Amino acid sequence: MKKLKVIGLLTLLVLILVKCQKSSEFPADQYDDRLSGGDATVFDATSKAFGNEFGNMSTYDQYIHEAGDLVFSQTFVTAPAPIHSGLGPIFNNTSCASCHHNDGIGLPTAGEAQSSLLMRISLPGTDAYGGPVAVPGYGLQVQDKAAFGKVPEAKVKITYNYQTYSFDDGETYELRAPTYALTNLYTPISGSYLLSPRLAPPMIGLGLLEAVPESEIVANADPNDANGDGIKGRANYVYDVTTKSVQLGRFGWKANTASVLTQVVTALNQDMGLTSKILPVESSFGQSQYDKLQDDPELPDTIVNSVKFYAQTLAVPARRNTTDATIKRGEQLFKLAKCANCHKQTLTTGVNVAFPALSNQVIHPYTDMLVHNMGAGLADNRPDFKAGGQDWRTAPLWGLGLYETVNNPGYYLHDGRARTLVEAIMWHGGEAAASQSYFSKLPKADRNAILQFLGSL
Amino acid sequence: MKGKIITMLCVAGLVIGGCSKDHTPTKDDNTNTQATLEQNVLTDFAAVLANPNYQDIQAKALIMNNAIIAFNASSTDANLLAVRNAWKDTRGAWESCEGFLFGPVEDFSYDPTMDDWPVNKADLDALIASNNPLQVSDIDALETTLKGFHAIEYIVFGVGSTQKAANITARDKLYLGSLGQSLYNTTTQLRNSWDPSKDGNFTTQVITAGKGSARYKTRQDVFKALVGSMADICNEVANEKMQTPLTKKDSTQDESQFSHNSVTDFKNNITGVLNAYKCQYGGKSGHSLSELVASKNASLDSKIQAQINTAIASFGGITTTYEKAIYTQTNQIKTVQAAINTLKATIEGDLDTFIEVNIKD
Repeated sequence: MKKLKVIGLLTLLVLILVKCQKSSEFPADQYDDRLSGGDATVFDATSKAFGNEFGNMSTYDQYIHEAGDLVFSQTFVTAPAPIHSGLGPIFNNTSCASCHHNDGIGLPTAGEAQSSLLMRISLPGTDAYGGPVAVPGYGLQVQDKAAFGKVPEAKVKITYNYQTYSFDDGETYELRAPTYALTNLYTPISGSYLLSPRLAPPMIGLGLLEAVPESEIVANADPNDANGDGIKGRANYVYDVTTKSVQLGRFGWKANTASVLTQVVTALNQDMGLTSKILPVESSFGQSQYDKLQDDPELPDTIVNSVKFYAQTLAVPARRNTTDATIKRGEQLFKLAKCANCHKQTLTTGVNVAFPALSNQVIHPYTDMLVHNMGAGLADNRPDFKAGGQDWRTAPLWGLGLYETVNNPGYYLHDGRARTLVEAIMWHGGEAAASQSYFSKLPKADRNAILQFLGSL
Repeated sequence: MKGKIITMLCVAGLVIGGCSKDHTPTKDDNTNTQATLEQNVLTDFAAVLANPNYQDIQAKALIMNNAIIAFNASSTDANLLAVRNAWKDTRGAWESCEGFLFGPVEDFSYDPTMDDWPVNKADLDALIASNNPLQVSDIDALETTLKGFHAIEYIVFGVGSTQKAANITARDKLYLGSLGQSLYNTTTQLRNSWDPSKDGNFTTQVITAGKGSARYKTRQDVFKALVGSMADICNEVANEKMQTPLTKKDSTQDESQFSHNSVTDFKNNITGVLNAYKCQYGGKSGHSLSELVASKNASLDSKIQAQINTAIASFGGITTTYEKAIYTQTNQIKTVQAAINTLKATIEGDLDTFIEVNIKD
């Protein structure tokens, strides 16, 4: 009997050990490549593909997401008003969705109803927190619209210079280089100032990117190019208005924003003129447009938090046609070109017992969330905390293949100058110059394979 | 007579010959039949529904604009009533097209340009009180919450639908005149965006889906867009437009609060879903999504039709304005919401799956 017990225990022990080992050795290549957002992936390739909530949330969480969705799409009006009050007096647009059409990327125009491009502005140098220096009378963002009877801070003039280039095989492509200028300034700015255009980015997967441990992001940094691959990813550390501390920058084209909450309250305040507990001061405070109404904060925490939660819980569309031979070939070439050295395929979110939907997810955002020198062609020459004048955060590529569908015709890069993926690739310089050159030298079939791979994201 | 008999015999021979021809349908035949039907549905969607609906909106907006011109020339209550009725007619055609809100109406922001909400009352008062010329070009430059249906509604119906012709000022009329023209101009742009005779029209994008359309690489893509837009309006009506005023018990959250037209708006939205599913408008019909579904799954088609009809009929339970119903007929409202949400679930589930499974090209 005793012998039997011992055998039984040993068998059990073997089974447990085998089980444990099996679990810990689940091979990475057996994850389904289509699941860009892990459990938070949605199979939708329509124009609404960026507007889906996580599929694995509780009923209560769905309710909050939907409440945030309503606020995200609602148009705000000038205070005082019975509902949706608090727009402006100066602003860039009247609703979140006015810039983030279909929760996607915006249109690279300024000052029109469907415009999604805004201009950051600052004086040379750094402020007390190491960030950009606000321009007296303007702050850090140009609001190019105003309530009726008020004057916008300025209008933004965009001009493009078109130039044709050739790949090594002779096929031509055109790039349009933008120039930005402010006109109709409501008050003069003394001395020189710096401008940086920013296009409204897609909203998908923000909660997942926020959930990636800082240690994992920083582990990919290589500021001194220790591995000699010519790529020097750096983390941007920024002053965060929500926590009032220095944090890792994760969001924004230069990774100058630490969290989804900070991104939301800053956009509400700066883009729409809506004050919150975190940012209770109107963007026009101290300026002639200021409304002097004692109504701040205009948005209660419940509203702000619902928008934050909405932004955190927008699912990522699944990849399409991942087993297609050409797309597979394109993926290989993407790696051979070292695109994947910055546009890292895979990150893993941290464990979060409070919110399982975001917890421990293997995701494929195709970003390292670090900033890189992208060369003079793309430079805004406006430093933003640790991100220099030529630095941009590696843009996540998930959903890239759906930009045309979601936001017909679709624009690319921080200011939407690129009208096609080819143009976007060919604008890459600086640390990405070798990759761009690699692409340029490829035969057309291989270039198309890379484009098809990108189209599958 | 003999000739006729011979001719008839020949025809009969041809018919019988045709009928008796031994031909077992092959997979290719079925595929071709399916593809033809899919194509016909897309062609008729554009020709029988989308284009006529957009033309109708434009025509009715012109009538409204003319009614406004007449009112401004002779500001009687009778002429004001004519404007109100024209507003409701135009609104009906517009709300109906919201049953398939995709394409240029979305791409070029024609929707918010015509139908943004709420009215920016503070700015509107400031605008009227200002010395702004209030010409059409001035209106076009305004934010969307200062123009379109609801700005017109505010002027001609007033808060609580109590507006009188005598209370509409000269500045109001100047504003109203330009609002009417501006709205008509936008409906013209919208109509032109689908007009098959215009360069770059969206009709071509739809009917060439899967055959060179830059917008829709497959026919499935455009069917998915159509079905998605049907589900979206169900969600918007049941869970946003109806739900927000209901839960907040606040009639100022009600979209067409000045005209008390909201229940009609909602019903016309769901009628738009019916039109999209059955491919019908203005008494005409064509090859439809319904026909496509029925060809493969008759019970699903019956289910969808029944659910649409139930949702539309359920509005009959609301017998007062929506502004009052949110206080007095909450059960009736919930019945409507439940019917629309049932339909929404079927569209998002069964119908969307049907498209994915059956439309492959």
